[in-house]
Amino acid sequence: MLRIDDLSAWYGEAQVLRGVSLEIAAGEVVTLCGRNGAGKTTLLRCVMGLHPGQRGTVELAGRTLSGQPAHRRARAGLGWVPDDRGCYATLTVAETLSLPPVVGPSPWSLEQVYDAFPHLHARRNAPSTTLSGGEQQMLALARVLRMGARLLLCDEPTEGLSPLLVAQVGDILRQAKQHGVAVLLVEQNLHFATTVADRHHLLAEGRVVESLENSEVAAREKDLLAYLGI
Amino acid sequence: MRTKAFVMLCSTALLASACGGGGPKSDAAGGGLSDGKVVFGVLNDQSGAYSQLSGKNSIKAVELAIADYKEKYGDKAVVKEFGVETADHQNKPDVANAKAAELYDRKAVDVILDVPTSSAALKVADVAKEKKKLYFNISAATTDLTGKSCNKYTFHYAYDTYMLANGTGRNTTEEGKKNWYIVYPDYAFGQDMEKSFSAAVEAAGGKIVGRDAAPFPNTSGDFSTYLLKAPTLNPKPDVLGTMQAGAELVALVKQYNEFKLRDKGVGLAVGLMFLTDIHSLTPAALAGTTYTDAWYWNHDLTNRAFADRFKTAAGVRPTFAHAANYSAALQYLEAVQAAGTDGSDAVVKQLEGKTVEDVFLRNGKIRAEDHRVVHDAYLAQVKTPAEVTEEWDYVKILRTVPAADAFRTPSPDCKL
Amino acid sequence: MVNFLQHTFNGLVGGAFLALLALGLAVIFGMLRVVNFAHGAIYMLGAFGAYVLLTEVGLSFWWALLVMPIALALFGMALERLLVARLARLDPLYNFLLTFGLTLILQDAVKSRYGVQSSPYDAPAILSGTLDLGAFDFPAYRVFVLVMAVAVCVGVWWLLSRTRVGMVVRAATERPELSTALGIDVGRWVTPVFGFGIGLAGLAGVLAAPIRAVNPLMGADLIIVVFAVVVIGGLGSIFGSVAAGFAIGLVQAWVQALGEDWALLSQVLVFLVMAGVLLWRPAGLFGREEAPA
Repeated sequence: MLRIDDLSAWYGEAQVLRGVSLEIAAGEVVTLCGRNGAGKTTLLRCVMGLHPGQRGTVELAGRTLSGQPAHRRARAGLGWVPDDRGCYATLTVAETLSLPPVVGPSPWSLEQVYDAFPHLHARRNAPSTTLSGGEQQMLALARVLRMGARLLLCDEPTEGLSPLLVAQVGDILRQAKQHGVAVLLVEQNLHFATTVADRHHLLAEGRVVESLENSEVAAREKDLLAYLGI
Repeated sequence: MRTKAFVMLCSTALLASACGGGGPKSDAAGGGLSDGKVVFGVLNDQSGAYSQLSGKNSIKAVELAIADYKEKYGDKAVVKEFGVETADHQNKPDVANAKAAELYDRKAVDVILDVPTSSAALKVADVAKEKKKLYFNISAATTDLTGKSCNKYTFHYAYDTYMLANGTGRNTTEEGKKNWYIVYPDYAFGQDMEKSFSAAVEAAGGKIVGRDAAPFPNTSGDFSTYLLKAPTLNPKPDVLGTMQAGAELVALVKQYNEFKLRDKGVGLAVGLMFLTDIHSLTPAALAGTTYTDAWYWNHDLTNRAFADRFKTAAGVRPTFAHAANYSAALQYLEAVQAAGTDGSDAVVKQLEGKTVEDVFLRNGKIRAEDHRVVHDAYLAQVKTPAEVTEEWDYVKILRTVPAADAFRTPSPDCKL
Repeated sequence: MVNFLQHTFNGLVGGAFLALLALGLAVIFGMLRVVNFAHGAIYMLGAFGAYVLLTEVGLSFWWALLVMPIALALFGMALERLLVARLARLDPLYNFLLTFGLTLILQDAVKSRYGVQSSPYDAPAILSGTLDLGAFDFPAYRVFVLVMAVAVCVGVWWLLSRTRVGMVVRAATERPELSTALGIDVGRWVTPVFGFGIGLAGLAGVLAAPIRAVNPLMGADLIIVVFAVVVIGGLGSIFGSVAAGFAIGLVQAWVQALGEDWALLSQVLVFLVMAGVLLWRPAGLFGREEAPA
């Protein structure tokens, strides 16, 4: 589904990504782990086309995205779930859901979204920034599902959420996976990551330093936690 | 250009001694002309709000005066060579100050003319005093030029706030419109006008029932608050006296018509108006409005003949400022002719106390006490559109205010 | 009481001009983060255009009301494409300077062609009378101005809040990068929005022509007040700019009506209010703190 080849990125003079390559198949959930500053968010922004200083190839379902502006990439099937949850003060919940165009073959309908997230239905006419943190996260996820995105770019969707809500995020991602949606997930919560992901990439100083199958994680948990500085 | 090259040559150290006697700064105290010619300096607004009422066309007026002088004296003329320099003071006192000094010192100007905007006009008076060079103010209104800021080298030529107030304020009140509501722009000119008008109205037995200081500059260009207020004052004013000038006057008159104040019994009196303002507003907008004019181009055949010449040169009919610039330039040349020199003190001596008749000055006299140039003024009324038969002929003269009454008596504040 | 009502109504009319101009500025600032200094000059072009259409083409006020905003909107779009867009990536100061320079050019261009004196322009005959508003009479044209301004503001509000286009513009205005990542082509909306804001300024200019002095400098002083209005309302806040425009119009009319002793206050009022609002709420009455990019 997604193929990243030899991707490098800079902030001015400073190089933050150094030749990252990875692939994600349809229906696969892949996490990016690593310390703060390892380049995880930059990698997502590069894939989305939001980072100007980048070199390398990004392909979605065989179509190259490199050099395309972000809105074209979104229309090609990328679903953006930013770390700040991307809510608008000037848009209601319902408007936030219907803002992005439908980009994939199997978008959720508004009814499906409201069935799955009754809270959003109750607050549908409120400005989306007035939702609680958990509700905002649900909104951000519901929005990309409604687009019918084929690949979700999720930046720490569980950050700051209660265990109950974390579990709900997990349910949503697994549900998406069942529909063949691929997910590139930036995640600090290793435990959560193992409940949803198929594979994990460890990022350090802009490079993928280790790649693991989910089944390998349990055996190496200690090493990994040390790596993440936890 | 030749003058410039000459001045530059002189200013080089090597030649300094050789041509020092003919240098532009030297005063021809011993007779003859400084640098062999007379140079006029027209200093006024050439791009802003007052650039139509005098502006570059004042230069044309000065050129007409030079032509008339040449024709009159022919071979006997003391002045054989002439120059006209000009500068834009942008209505800013500091710019006026610098430009005046530059005209006198570097452009070898013998006399500065025009200078609208009272604050700028007063600055130039200071420069004239310091440089001991002549200055005829034409287009500024402040009576301070012949009051506390008067000096030996400054003459105030065309009009002032007293003349305007005395003409319009007194006459309108004596016609029976006794109750006045005055709206004035909140800066030196407006405040001066308001005081002059209030005094004139009250002296004639009238009463100021309300006065308002409008913001200056009036950013929105809106005067509707005052126009709404006018008919609600108690007692109701017979006349709204506006002291606004230029574009603000245009806006106020437009809105006066819009609010139908004439129908509500509140007449309009305008403190200061130029022919160009009437042209902007169209006579229809101002029909019936009375104001005081220092001169009107179509008042008699003499004026009209001058106006025809001016139109050939400038393409428009002259305002009173244009005519006054002509007159001032001509009277200066006459004084030089009589004195045989352009030395400032000798010229001032010729001018002081002189009685003059020319196209602008009727029953004119250059007062020795304060250098006020007094002359007949006119109470004018804007024609109705039906009465207008010729472009620019927008006004009829109701009556003449005799020179003796038109201006104030010399102020004790003035010590030349 | 009647006097008070009259001054209140009149204040709303004065506010209508401020609101229309502030609305255009806010729309442009919201979308482009450009403080359009040329807004006052565009207002002047609107009024002057009406005059030129009448005297040189023979088109009436009503035609001008239709033609000038559209013509200026097109002019604005060309301007955005040719000049503003080139500086968009730099510090916003560059575009501020660009529009400042443009103001001088436009003013001087009109000045050199038509001179500085005011040009005559009358209200259409049908609106030249007064209208009985129950408690008092009021010039019909001013009532028309108020109705037009309110209609335009309500129209813009409806467009922004009730249509898909409006939703997209709101999203693009509030968080351009996020909106791009959600598949919105933000760049596509920049040019029309800029043109729209310019068109509003042109409309205000046409409306001003019959009751204000039409000359090349008519927008030069006004624009400073409109900036203050936009700051009071909250930079980029559509609702705030309109509300602040009407509010400033009202307060100004009331203070001016108080009389001569309050003249100084009426002159600096807008700026006092602005200073007060900024101290109390730095983002303006209805503004939000800048959202993270």
